[in-house]
Amino acid sequence: MNLFALSQMQQAGGQIALAALLGITGFFLLLPNPRGRFVPGGIAALIASATVLVSWLMSTFGKPMPDIIGTALFAFFSAGALIFGTVLVVQRNPARGAIAFAFVVLSTCGLFLLLAAPFLMAATIIIYAGAIIVTFLFVLMLSHAEGPSDENDRSREPLYGSFAGFAFVGLVLFTLHQTSLGAKSTDPDVAAPPPRLLLPVITAEERKALANVLAKLDEFDKRLDGDLGTATDRIKWIDDFETIKNDLAVVVGVSAQDQFAIVRKDGDSMRARLEKQPGKPGAGGSLYREDEQARNALRRAETVRDTNYTSLHLVERELLKPDPDRDAAHAAVRKLRDEVVLLRGASDLPASNVRSLGFVLYSEHLLAIELAGTLLLVALIGAVAVTHQKGVAK
Amino acid sequence: MIITLWHFLAVAAAIFGIGLVGFLTRRNLITMFLCAEMMLQAVGINFVAFARYHGNLQGQVFVLFIIAVAACEACIALALFMSLYRRRRSLDSSDWQDLRELGVPAAVDVEPLDTPVVEPEPTLTPAGARPLPQPTAEEAARV
Repeated sequence: MNLFALSQMQQAGGQIALAALLGITGFFLLLPNPRGRFVPGGIAALIASATVLVSWLMSTFGKPMPDIIGTALFAFFSAGALIFGTVLVVQRNPARGAIAFAFVVLSTCGLFLLLAAPFLMAATIIIYAGAIIVTFLFVLMLSHAEGPSDENDRSREPLYGSFAGFAFVGLVLFTLHQTSLGAKSTDPDVAAPPPRLLLPVITAEERKALANVLAKLDEFDKRLDGDLGTATDRIKWIDDFETIKNDLAVVVGVSAQDQFAIVRKDGDSMRARLEKQPGKPGAGGSLYREDEQARNALRRAETVRDTNYTSLHLVERELLKPDPDRDAAHAAVRKLRDEVVLLRGASDLPASNVRSLGFVLYSEHLLAIELAGTLLLVALIGAVAVTHQKGVAK
Repeated sequence: MIITLWHFLAVAAAIFGIGLVGFLTRRNLITMFLCAEMMLQAVGINFVAFARYHGNLQGQVFVLFIIAVAACEACIALALFMSLYRRRRSLDSSDWQDLRELGVPAAVDVEPLDTPVVEPEPTLTPAGARPLPQPTAEEAARV
């Protein structure tokens, strides 16, 4: 249905501009104004704007129909966020605005949940519940309910303000459109898949195998604490560790130096897998996928592959000494264990990623956490210093 | 076809824009503060969507720090509102326009606010006359 024979870019630009203009009209009519507002017209303009926007979204990025439940939830939450955001902006009474903001936060939390971030959902609800209650207290303390007032019934340049906001949105959406076109046209032979959200990169069996390896590694780590036994015992331990290593190698593949070392029962199947991907040394193992979204997990698997190889050698060297250094062996085993935990958590985005989030927070971002805590403390002290002034109140 | 990254980015951009309009046009300090928080929420949606898309957790970690910074911002902003309110007895941000740049004319509100017509409190009309202390002769005869 292309009436004016426009190019795809012109059509998208026209749709976005139309949506932005309708949005500007709607907000201009709805924003508080001492001359009074034209509420039905404003609402009609906003609905028209939303319709144009949704039609653009559907025509550009596809109708997400087959996944009916996900689509319905996405539509519900995003419509809720947009509608209550609009209510917050055009509502004269700040207390009602705070209630609308509570619904915006709830809708955003729904979107977080759709994006597999359950911890963030809970944290946002808890923190913003407190924030909204405090805002309510401020509204009750500071605003005068009787009669119209300058701050609630006037807007600062409603036309220019909404023009600025919607021009921004239109430009962002147009850039999105251009980017998506660019992402599609890089390889004209292959119909590029849309940038869908992540599918599980690590399958359930692989995750189970990793959990198994983790349990065995913990057991081995504990065994290092006990009696080290004689040299022959320790050679048997090295064999055990090599079994663990091979279990892990079934999932992550073998490192390039290690390819001849496999003489165990899994060696044959792994070689078969390796031959399926010729020309990619070290890319064996079932984690290899032709999926560019799996890159991150693959990179992590590569790290694990190398650590797997080196840690076996470290443990072997330590245990073969007449007087083994427990700490060095512990360190090697624990390094491998940490890597495996991270790999199991990589792309573990269904609801159980809270543990991985904690691990990432406290391993890679420890300094940032300390800084955030300090910032909170400084903000608290600053708030007390700003509010506490003697002799100003009249 | 399923919900893609673009859908989330588009919705987040729209929420951010609505918050921007509110922050630019409204004059109540508390509403402006809530609009700024809404913009932060939109940025958070972007971060989580990208985290989901790339399959790692860095975006979610970033949103946690955004929440921490938003808490600091709320703390300082509300303290500032208290201190501003003490001086001008109002939450109107235009009361502070003497902090504007040199050479920019002051914004003056020309249109009068329509003050609602306050109905006067009802007053009762005096009913009847005060009874006389002594019954008249006619009344006494009737009794």
